[in-house]
Amino acid sequence: MPGADTKVASHAVDITKVYGKGDTAVRALDGLSIEVPSGRFIAIMGPSGSGKSTLLHCLAGLDRVTSGQIFLEEQEISAISEKDLTLVRREKMGFIFQAYNLIPMLDAEENILLPLKLAGKEPDRDWFDRVVDTVGLRDRLRHRPDELSGGQQQRVAVARALVTRPAVIFADEPTGNLDTKASAELLGFISDAVEEFGQTVVMVTHDPLGASRSERVVFLVDGKIVDEMPKPTPDKILDRMKELGD
Amino acid sequence: MWEVTRKGLLAHKFRLLLTSISIVLGVGFVAGTFVFTDTIGSVFDHLFTQTTSGTDAVVRAKLPFKVSSAGSNSQADRAPVPDSLVPVVRSTDGVADAQGSVSGYALVIGKDGKAIQGQAPTLGVSWGSIPRFAKSFNVEQGARPTRPDEVGLDQTTADKAKVRVGDTVHVDFLTVAPQDFKVSAVFKFGDAGNLAGATLAAFEPTTAQRVLNKVGVWDEVDAAAKSGVSQAGLRDNLRAQLQRTGLTDRYETITQKALAKETANTIKQGLSFFNTFLLIFALVALFVGAFIIYNTFSIIVAQRARELGLLKAVGASGRQVTWSVAVEALATGVFSSIVGLAFGIFVASGLQGLLKSFGVDLPSGGIVLKPRTVIVAIILGIVVTLVSALSPARRAARVPPVAAIQDHAVTPTSGCRRYVIGGIVTGVGVVLLFLGLFANVKSSDFPGGAGGLVGVAAFLVFVGVAMLSPVIAGPAALALGWPSAHIRGVTGELARENAARNTRRTASTAAALMIGLALITFVSTFGASAKKSFADAIDRTNRADFQLAGKHFGGFAPPAAQTARQALPGGTVVEFREGAWQYNGAGKQLVGSTADLGQVVDIKLRSGADLNGFATTGVLVYKDAAKSNKLKVGQTLPMRFSATGVKQIPIRGIYDDNKGLGVNFTSYILSLRDYEANYTTQLDLGTAVRKPSAMSASAARAALDKAMTAFPNVDVQDNAQAKDAQLSQFNTIINLMGALLLLAIIIALIGIVNTLALSIYERTREIGLLRAVGMTRRQMKRMVRSEAVIIAVFGTLLGVVIGLLFGRAIVASLHNDGIVFAVPVGQIVGFVILAALAGLFAGTFPARRAANLDILKAISTD
Ligand SMILES: Nc1ncnc2c1ncn2[C@@H]1O[C@H](COP(=O)(O)OP(=O)(O)O)[C@@H](O)[C@H]1O
Ligand SMILES: [Mg+2]
Repeated sequence: MPGADTKVASHAVDITKVYGKGDTAVRALDGLSIEVPSGRFIAIMGPSGSGKSTLLHCLAGLDRVTSGQIFLEEQEISAISEKDLTLVRREKMGFIFQAYNLIPMLDAEENILLPLKLAGKEPDRDWFDRVVDTVGLRDRLRHRPDELSGGQQQRVAVARALVTRPAVIFADEPTGNLDTKASAELLGFISDAVEEFGQTVVMVTHDPLGASRSERVVFLVDGKIVDEMPKPTPDKILDRMKELGD
Repeated sequence: MWEVTRKGLLAHKFRLLLTSISIVLGVGFVAGTFVFTDTIGSVFDHLFTQTTSGTDAVVRAKLPFKVSSAGSNSQADRAPVPDSLVPVVRSTDGVADAQGSVSGYALVIGKDGKAIQGQAPTLGVSWGSIPRFAKSFNVEQGARPTRPDEVGLDQTTADKAKVRVGDTVHVDFLTVAPQDFKVSAVFKFGDAGNLAGATLAAFEPTTAQRVLNKVGVWDEVDAAAKSGVSQAGLRDNLRAQLQRTGLTDRYETITQKALAKETANTIKQGLSFFNTFLLIFALVALFVGAFIIYNTFSIIVAQRARELGLLKAVGASGRQVTWSVAVEALATGVFSSIVGLAFGIFVASGLQGLLKSFGVDLPSGGIVLKPRTVIVAIILGIVVTLVSALSPARRAARVPPVAAIQDHAVTPTSGCRRYVIGGIVTGVGVVLLFLGLFANVKSSDFPGGAGGLVGVAAFLVFVGVAMLSPVIAGPAALALGWPSAHIRGVTGELARENAARNTRRTASTAAALMIGLALITFVSTFGASAKKSFADAIDRTNRADFQLAGKHFGGFAPPAAQTARQALPGGTVVEFREGAWQYNGAGKQLVGSTADLGQVVDIKLRSGADLNGFATTGVLVYKDAAKSNKLKVGQTLPMRFSATGVKQIPIRGIYDDNKGLGVNFTSYILSLRDYEANYTTQLDLGTAVRKPSAMSASAARAALDKAMTAFPNVDVQDNAQAKDAQLSQFNTIINLMGALLLLAIIIALIGIVNTLALSIYERTREIGLLRAVGMTRRQMKRMVRSEAVIIAVFGTLLGVVIGLLFGRAIVASLHNDGIVFAVPVGQIVGFVILAALAGLFAGTFPARRAANLDILKAISTD
């Protein structure tokens, strides 16, 4: 539990998410609570179908919970309108998906600046430069997505998530489609962002190596948190995953 | 394979429906046109059988030549037959009874002094005492008129005039003074309230002869057969009788059946013109529908690339893949043709109601649905759909199996071959257009003659330009999207990029709109040019101060001109009548007028003309007609009139300007004296008045207005009013065509809805992403609507440019008729603005769909 002086970026209280009705109902999240302190890097792991994506979507306000509350910083987002939710997402959250993160007809720079433009805000050029340099895209800014490698595309997505200085970045298996080398690079950029900018990151991953970069790993089974592991190492994670029977 | 296709169809019911609408509307228009004209045709068959019921054969004067119907305002002028023919007919073998009958112009004036007149003729007819000949007078109230001051009125006319049996009505005639009559009967015509909108005033026969200027003569003699004698038998007997009495060269006999058919055929000829006219617009609508089908299927194939690739990967041949798309097209075609047919029948019955509201009371009789209508509608719908889907279906066959596993599999394109073909098609279209306009093409050279050729040329130009248009669609979309990108920020920017990224799709969606807009622009440009030229001609040639004009553009009786003459002593009043005649076997038009017509219209009579002679007899000839027929002043011209045969008329002068003589630009002006001698009906189609120079305009106007109160169907117009009235005829035609083209434009707008809806489906993931990173629903809607506007404006601009070029070309081809080019700038700007608004509207529905997409579904990668 974080101390009283630590701010909480995102937290969920006793949330459930049920898909469908009656016999076919699936309880994807089952009375789960979680707290993400500001400035931390949290990894979520668990067997396939355990509810990782659902949890991430609910925390990010992309999906509504069936019961329970979700907060972003002090604001409860489980009760606000779709329109306000969009604005909260735009201002306070960043997203990195597994694939198809970019708008094909916009070049890298335009993709990075898209959330700011949608908000009608002028980008802070210094910040933009720092972000771009952090993810190493300086010489690729004029390229369109189809002219970029998979790893570069994901780096653009990371930059786009960072550029609005969001309260939290949510990443759902951002390295899922990348080879080992590109994965390692991308994870490097993400942890750099946490260290350098104090960025809060919640990342779902299957990769023990990737998860080991986080400060804490949360293990999910059947929509419930079954374990947490502070200061993870790849070996410890692997062991735990074997126990959980993935 | 079939299973896959069937499942695909069912999974996309909505898509099927939206795609079908474009064909449903086109097929509906075609079917509706046929049903409507067939129904009216059968109604007239019925009507004319009724008008002649009781009669078995008719004896009438022979018509020396067939009056050409094209552009003629004249009634068929058959010479009358004398009273003395009636006993000849009656005494013929097999004749049970005979009577003479006449009809002519009679205008009923209502109680409030208003003339009872619509678009149809105002008729006076004889109502004889023999009941079997009077079957069509279905008396509702009162009894047959038997006295000289009695009249019978049809129900509709009586209602409009607000009179009943026992009341008095005022009736105007062509040659005799107007008179008051007591209404003795109100009748229905057969089972309808009136005779196809015409007003009927029925008189006792001798009175009818007098008021219709047919004293001692009849239009025809009707004969009824004794029982046991057939119509044909009666006709043969009557022929023999005419032979015996030496009258065969002047009179002819026709059975009632043949007569009814003949009369109905005249109407049907008019109807068939109307039918063709409507069909052209229906085909335009279908053509636009074809673009929508092509576009939809192209998008479907592109979207299904993965699925089609998979089919190929698991062993489907290219042919099988093509078939699976073709079957979907076939299903769409069959479905839309059937719905379209039903829709057409529905619309046709609606049109009939519309006619009724215009005062044309058609006798009851169901909707006529001929097998031809069904066959044409169904085949047309299916063929158009299949042909339009052909090229996308063939493209489907070329989808590579790797498309199944690649994310960004490129759908095969026909590449630059398309542009080469497009260029050739456009070129051929342009060449044909010029041939059609300038090369004097006859119907023997090409079906439909020059008009048909120009139609085919326009079709080719549209197809060619549509094929070429992707080249400019990209840059054009970027340019047209500039304002939206700058006003709307990033949503506008995205809309612009979306419109520019699939140039082919944007281009063919816009092309559908282009066709409608090109035709509307063409019609309004041509209309504006014709209007301007006509107005210029009036300004140049008019010397009159006032015009007397019949209401509803109908003619009016000569006494009006006579009264005007008396009201303005020292002024000039010139009558104009129109007629058909024949010269060297060719039907021609003429205008009958007086020797002082130069006072009211400048025809630039060449020196050497003999106007004194013209006052009593003679003809004036337009320079071109004089040249081509080698006519000179002083010669006589053998003119053949239908009522009187060939007359030698002296040529009194040659004139250089015929543009002031109304839209027919007549080449022959006949002395009014000759006109009176050779035409049965004397109807003034216009009368021009020049006031005495000493009199002020307002005094002259007051005097004329006062004099014309006795003629409620005549309007007094000053020059400005007369010009407006003439020009408003152009507006009516332009507006009518515009209304008919509206359907093509609506179909094109449906195409925009369809394309965008499908594109949005295709871009689901992208839309989800945009929403996830913070695009609000409102911004999403704005983005989609902006894209719709960009496509709509692009199509409109293409259409406007092509329409202007068409207009320019056709005006150039009519240069010799004195038509000058005029661009209706205001109207065209209006079109573009309306198109943008329509695009906005068309974008609303896809925009809502995009905005309501479930973000999660959109972004889930599996
Ligand atoms: N839209 C949905 N409708 C029905 N069930 C769903 C839906 N999304 C996820 N599920 C179910 O919820 C459970 C959790 O899914 P998810 O969060 O995607 O798991 P993970 O990301 O951990 O693999 C699974 O059993 C899945 O089948
Ligand atoms: Mg998942």
